[in-house]
Amino acid sequence: MLIIETFQLLLAGFASALTPEHLLMAALGALIGTFVGVLPGLGPTSAIAILLPVTAVLEPTQGMIMLAGIYYGAMYGGSTTAILLNIPGELSSVPTCLDGYPLAKKGRGGPALGISALASFGAGVLGVIGLVFFAPILADQALKFGPPEYFALMILALTLMVSLSGGSLVKSFLMGAFGYTLALVGLGPSSGMPRFDYGVPALVGGFDMISIIIGLFAITEVLKGIDEKRTATLIGKPGSVYPKKEDLRVSAGPMLRGGIVGFFLGLLPGCSAAITSFLAYDMEKKLSKHPEKFGQGTIEGVAAPEAANNATSSAGFIPLFSLGIPSSPPLAILLAGLMIYGLTPGPVLFEQNAGFVWTVIASMFVGNAMLLVLNLPMVWVWVKLTRVPYGIMAPIILMFCTIGAYSVRNSMFDVWVAFLFGGLGYVFSKYKWPVVPLVLCFILGPLLEESFIQTMAMGSGDLSIVLFRPLSLTILLAAGALLMISMMLNRRTQQRLKEERDRGVDVA
Amino acid sequence: MSRREVESLKGYKQWLAVIMSLLLAAAVSACGNQGTAESAYPSKQVEYIVPYSAGGGVDLVARAAADYLSKEWGQPIVVVNKAGGGGAVGAEYALKQAKNDGYTALAVNVSNTTMLAAGMKTPPITNEDQVYTARIGKGTLAFAVKADAPWKDFAEFSAWVRANPEQLTWTSVGPAGFSAFGVAEWLDAIGADFAKTRMIVTKGASDSVPKVAGGHAILAVHTVGEIMPMLQAGKVKILAVSGNTRSLFLPDVPTAGEQGIQGLSVFWWTGVSFAKGTPESVIRKWEEAIAKMEKDPAFLQKLSEIQVEPAYAASEAFTKETQAETTYYLELATKKGIRK
Repeated sequence: MLIIETFQLLLAGFASALTPEHLLMAALGALIGTFVGVLPGLGPTSAIAILLPVTAVLEPTQGMIMLAGIYYGAMYGGSTTAILLNIPGELSSVPTCLDGYPLAKKGRGGPALGISALASFGAGVLGVIGLVFFAPILADQALKFGPPEYFALMILALTLMVSLSGGSLVKSFLMGAFGYTLALVGLGPSSGMPRFDYGVPALVGGFDMISIIIGLFAITEVLKGIDEKRTATLIGKPGSVYPKKEDLRVSAGPMLRGGIVGFFLGLLPGCSAAITSFLAYDMEKKLSKHPEKFGQGTIEGVAAPEAANNATSSAGFIPLFSLGIPSSPPLAILLAGLMIYGLTPGPVLFEQNAGFVWTVIASMFVGNAMLLVLNLPMVWVWVKLTRVPYGIMAPIILMFCTIGAYSVRNSMFDVWVAFLFGGLGYVFSKYKWPVVPLVLCFILGPLLEESFIQTMAMGSGDLSIVLFRPLSLTILLAAGALLMISMMLNRRTQQRLKEERDRGVDVA
Repeated sequence: MSRREVESLKGYKQWLAVIMSLLLAAAVSACGNQGTAESAYPSKQVEYIVPYSAGGGVDLVARAAADYLSKEWGQPIVVVNKAGGGGAVGAEYALKQAKNDGYTALAVNVSNTTMLAAGMKTPPITNEDQVYTARIGKGTLAFAVKADAPWKDFAEFSAWVRANPEQLTWTSVGPAGFSAFGVAEWLDAIGADFAKTRMIVTKGASDSVPKVAGGHAILAVHTVGEIMPMLQAGKVKILAVSGNTRSLFLPDVPTAGEQGIQGLSVFWWTGVSFAKGTPESVIRKWEEAIAKMEKDPAFLQKLSEIQVEPAYAASEAFTKETQAETTYYLELATKKGIRK
């Protein structure tokens, strides 16, 4: 019954996503996203960070559709550079490099790209199906989520951010605390009282989410690029992008297995695409009859991690929309996008903004299909793009960052904030201090504070009601369990990354 | 470079040009252009700030008005939700941070004006920060509890609260919003201790009513329209409405007065205001357009669908009423210890 209702909502979503305006937004998003994703070193996170202000001027539905398009486009762009240039835009594309680049050197980059596009399309479909089944269950439970449950959820999200960033727990914690401190500046969410403004008028409104994100993810990336003197290597023609029958036959199994692993692990909040793509790659290598060929250019070695990577990303929308928990850095930025549009993700979102949510979900599907149709024939264009000297690209990106930061509140203050955080982000990355906990705590901090104060009011000043309510207790226990699982998986991924670094793969 | 490569490079340059110009167009339109003739107002998109989350009463009225005015003026009037601080965050943005050039309007509401001024010793925004341009609609308050709550009517519920004030948890739209004043006035009328009850501050009706429906708090005091979806879903029941007459939208629900509890006068209203110093011509233009809008059958139909009663007041009358209201709420807030 519920499923049927949801299905009708999804159909209505498709009707809305297929209107010419929305189709245009999805196409533009996918194209622009691919464009930024293809630029050396810029992955989905920086792509969304740079373009967030551009979408913020649109009407919410259109803005979100475009943003989702940018996300998928940038992911696809990332695989393009991974395969053709051996440059992973994000950690999750590292396994794709392993066999993708050798394939490209053999002149079989085209089929690798084709498989990668097919895998991402399939994963997108899987994500939509998952949402259709999962959303009604959660929407049905929505009313059971009171302040203590939200408080527990925020604890869960913030605990998982530690595992998200990998690396040192202490560093993650300190960065989170810094992000939370930044969120305290301005008007209190529950009191409406100004605080920590030190009499500076610009601080009364608090720091703006967009300028901090632009600084940390876009400007920092440019500074890193200048520092590394980024240049692209010339490669030969990638060959036809349409995989042969044989390629399809060999990669069908790995794609299916990678997709399933990626999807189900992706449902666990905090399980990032980097984790699942390595898992899928290693799993195929173990299953293979000729494991020694892995790393020398096997199509299975591209199909499995790409499918897993994209399935995890699609599955990530489920905890994001239904619980407000982002499981990867780009989703954390998308969460910021949702909040800018005045939509706080969580169990109530599906009940109160059903039309909006299902339109966006349907348009993700559309966006994926568009990537397939638009980008395969355009591979050569994207390849050319990677040859634009960084000296030309960097100032253009910086210009967009400046305009973006300024346009949010029409204030130069935000531009200075963006550049300040750009500089800070550069220092952070140099000394391996993770910025994702900072951003997440900055975004979720006010929600944590609000639910904390509400819970205290409910319990007459006694926080222990969180422990005596079955649902909030369950969430807290789940947080503990997930933290352990993801720390284990993370350790494994770090190990694998180290192995690949030792073998000379260029990993940020 | 081979000739072929040059050719394809050209192709890519064209693409780059197309994409760049699209991006630039979007960016430029975001920055906006000032300095156009006043008579041509609005010559570009107007941001209409709703200081609450989407889906609440203020939001729905603002969206209906934005829709009408966009068509009327041929420029997009875009509703932007900036929730937080009981409406103070968005209001502060619209009245103090944004330019007072008439391109940032505030969906003003009783909670973030007269009540805010009464509820805080140093309110972040005051009556003097804004030009009350026009009131659009109003609504009576409804007292809602969970559908299966044990009380059969408002009198019985009031008696229970009088005996057990410390057990009453209620959700509000902010530290000093209309929920707080509605509850304070009611508790005063029945002789219960306001200070012993527990207020749960939420971001707005869309956040507050589900908390009562889910059993996390006992009482929600909101406009009829804000409670309607949960009422129709059978998750909450309404024990009484404030005011002297029954609500147009709930003819079966008795007023508090009918149940022996007199003097509940707090009502909810929403309208438009602009930052102090906004050009007079802009204020007039909005005032006139809203007066015309309130005669438009399609708009009235929309108001009725969201259970808001039309209540147009032009700038001068609107300002006077808000001043009188501030005085009353100031007294109530001081007496009940709401003022902080």
